Amino acid sequence: MDWPIGTAILFALLFAGIPIGYCLTLVGFAGVASIIGIDPALAMIGQVYSDAGRSYTLSVVPLFLLMGNMIVQSGIADEIYDAANAWLRHRKGGLAMATILACGGFGSVCGSSLATAATMGKIALPAMRRHGYSDALATGSIAAGGTLGIIIPPSVILVIYGILTQQDIGKLFLAGIVPGLLGIIGYMLAVRLSLFMRPEQIEALPRLSLARRLAATRGVAPALALFAFVLGGIYLGVFTATEAAGMGAAGAILLTAARGKLTLRGTLVTLFDTGKTTAIMFFVLFGALYFLNYVNLSGLSTDIRGWVLGLNMPPLGVILMIMLMLLVLGSLLESLSMVMLVTPILFPIVTTLGFDPIWFGVFLVVATELSYITPPMGMNVFVLRVVARDVPIGQIFRGVVPFVILDLVRLVLLILFPILALAIPRSM
Amino acid sequence: AVSAEVTLRLSNWLPPSHPVVKDIMQPWAEQVKEATEGRVEVQILDAPLGPPPAHFDLVASGAADIGFSAHSYTPGRFTLTEIGELPFLTPSSLANSLALWKVWQEMLADKNEHAGVKVLALFGHGPGHLFTTNREVSPLSELKGAKIRVAGAVTDQLVQGLDMVSVQAPSSESYELLSNGIADGIVFPYESVPFFKLDGLVKHGLRVPGGLYNVSFFMVMNQARFDSLSEEDRAAIDKVSGEALVRMAGEAWDAADAAGLTALEGKVEFHDATAEETAEIEADAKAIYDRVRKGYDAKGVDFDAALAMFREEMDKAAP
Amino acid sequence: MRDPEAIADLRARVGMITAALVGLMLVALTAITVLDVGGRYLFNSPLPGGTELTEILVMAVIFTGLPAITLDDGHVTADLLSQQLTPGGRRLQLLMSRLAAVVALVLIAWQMWTHGARLAGYGQTTVYLHIPVGPVIQVAAVVCGLSAAIVAGLALLRAPHGLE
Ligand code: NA
Ligand code: NA
Repeated sequence: MDWPIGTAILFALLFAGIPIGYCLTLVGFAGVASIIGIDPALAMIGQVYSDAGRSYTLSVVPLFLLMGNMIVQSGIADEIYDAANAWLRHRKGGLAMATILACGGFGSVCGSSLATAATMGKIALPAMRRHGYSDALATGSIAAGGTLGIIIPPSVILVIYGILTQQDIGKLFLAGIVPGLLGIIGYMLAVRLSLFMRPEQIEALPRLSLARRLAATRGVAPALALFAFVLGGIYLGVFTATEAAGMGAAGAILLTAARGKLTLRGTLVTLFDTGKTTAIMFFVLFGALYFLNYVNLSGLSTDIRGWVLGLNMPPLGVILMIMLMLLVLGSLLESLSMVMLVTPILFPIVTTLGFDPIWFGVFLVVATELSYITPPMGMNVFVLRVVARDVPIGQIFRGVVPFVILDLVRLVLLILFPILALAIPRSM
Repeated sequence: AVSAEVTLRLSNWLPPSHPVVKDIMQPWAEQVKEATEGRVEVQILDAPLGPPPAHFDLVASGAADIGFSAHSYTPGRFTLTEIGELPFLTPSSLANSLALWKVWQEMLADKNEHAGVKVLALFGHGPGHLFTTNREVSPLSELKGAKIRVAGAVTDQLVQGLDMVSVQAPSSESYELLSNGIADGIVFPYESVPFFKLDGLVKHGLRVPGGLYNVSFFMVMNQARFDSLSEEDRAAIDKVSGEALVRMAGEAWDAADAAGLTALEGKVEFHDATAEETAEIEADAKAIYDRVRKGYDAKGVDFDAALAMFREEMDKAAP
Repeated sequence: MRDPEAIADLRARVGMITAALVGLMLVALTAITVLDVGGRYLFNSPLPGGTELTEILVMAVIFTGLPAITLDDGHVTADLLSQQLTPGGRRLQLLMSRLAAVVALVLIAWQMWTHGARLAGYGQTTVYLHIPVGPVIQVAAVVCGLSAAIVAGLALLRAPHGLE
């Protein structure tokens, strides 16, 4: 089965709503079997599902998820929002901007974009609605803000990229800091852009006194301390990036206990959620790994590489083309599978052209962030549908437009000034 | 170009710049093409079909036609080839590889540890040494409590026997472990130190005659796939594999090690163990020899006879 | 659709058992890192085989979580159509999803079992703690088989979507 046919079938099944991991496995199986025969293709299923889950480095997935979920249980997530709110509420579009800032803050203790969007959706959406924000702007800012969870360290996607390309995960994390901050600033501008494009009747909130703002900010201290502990530990070499996940989770559990929120019932729910999300993510990962073998055997990567290098474009042209390709792919694919699929294809091309592997990891993740919010496949948008069932999906997609624009600006900035990503890791 | 009649897929998990790819797999692939007059082509895949430890099974099941990996990645399975990983064997990868190949052919092959595949070659890397970042390596007491990233069961046993602490982590994390000071040292052959970009980090090296350890590798082909080839092509592949490939691999590792040693010049201060220190390490290594002997007993092979033959073949290869 | 309450009850029970098991595993996973890092600094002795225990626990979390997700129809989908579909269309979509899941899970269970049996036959273990790998994989295979049976059951009973 040639790869164009295989990918067409894959997309058809994906859009039909078949679970992504099983689509990838079944289409991958049909493809691999057509190339090397049924028996080896069957054996490969056993091998992928048995080996890929026993991974030391991938232990960061459940542990970073646990860290984020514990922060929610501790109540700190709400306080992060309250603090952001205290500083921004009186401004035009203040609650939406506060949502962005809070997403960034929560993203610094949570490794996943979906968890960031889901958590902040529950907290920020009711507040924005109460004060007259349109559904489009409210859900758009949450969906976009949620993507900050995977560029601001810690980040599950950066870990996966690091594993696939054998790059230092600690350096990748550090490289994500500045682009993450740029993302926060950009999205805040996007809120204003949104209000400029479509003015809204929003109830203005009174400005808080400095004392009250500082009081609200105090609640953020534990989250900040945890972020400093995890990143500082990696930066100073107290533990590896892989170990940081476990240390962070332990830290979050301690914080929760210290705040008297470590109840048996609440903890069980948190652990259960973490376990389920882990299993869900790994079943996508297994499928993507299997499908990757089909991609590899079918010669798709060789074809694409030959085509790109055959164009004889300058490196900058290639990067721009890759950016376009990622945007198209990202509009169709779920992000985790996308990073898993494109990294082995693109990595050799960009390193051949002399681009920094750490920089490319950050570039890839920022481009992938876009895929979380662009139609038709925007994972964060789907998550929001659980939180805000009554908002039509088209509204959410309309709301993210200004954020997409600012994201594109950020991508171009990253291409023009790679140092934005590389300054901190190089100082290590 | 005339396209080949048969394409054999080689699943490779090493980066293209690695000596095993550049100086062993690629030249061998070309030799196969030449020997079969272009009828058989070996295609090195862009990405591996599974993680390194899965490569034997990938080939045995036919997912890949050809694969390469280390015996020690799947502990408990290949207990006989451990003879090529023992401490104090030889300073030459060529001698180690040829001896391993000869002993395997003569005494080990019929125990069928490599079931389901055609063994194209077995070989070892260069002698392994101990490298540290800040710790002095002599006297040995300086190393007490040093945290050393180990390469598997053999080095784990060796390091702990000498009162060091073994740190277990994937080799891809070597740089992070050493640059952060999480580990104080690592065991590696010369070649791997610059390869993993550790040449600015490690300052001291401890060497013993014949190396502290070794690692044995296999390159194998799916048996059914091999049998499906024409008699002429099978003979052609046989001609460039087996001892010829073992020799090429051994020479490639020795060359890579020599280049690695040159890269370390002026950066690493080497200490060759004194007679006294060597004796101490030898005493420690006895436990490793005993463990391998047990594996031989369990499979009914005479360890002493195998070791004697191994030493004899090493002497023949590098007198 | 027969007895939706029984299905809801089953979902709750499996959820509780999974929560307890997965909870223990996640706490153990966290504790291993802490003991490993703490041991390294405080007693100059990292947890022996810590990486291996971590690897096995990650696998355990994934496969312990599977039955609960399966009961919920909780796997990630691209889910573009559902809002446009009629109730009948949605039921058909759910049925197709479940059929795909049964096929995939049966293949996975069967092949993991075979793979595990092969490794058990070789006596393959982990490097440091000598934990036999084959049986661990075979247990996961059984869980996959069980999950396949669950999806098949949900499909036959025409149970409603677990998350709706
Ligand atoms: Na994050
Ligand atoms: Na998208």
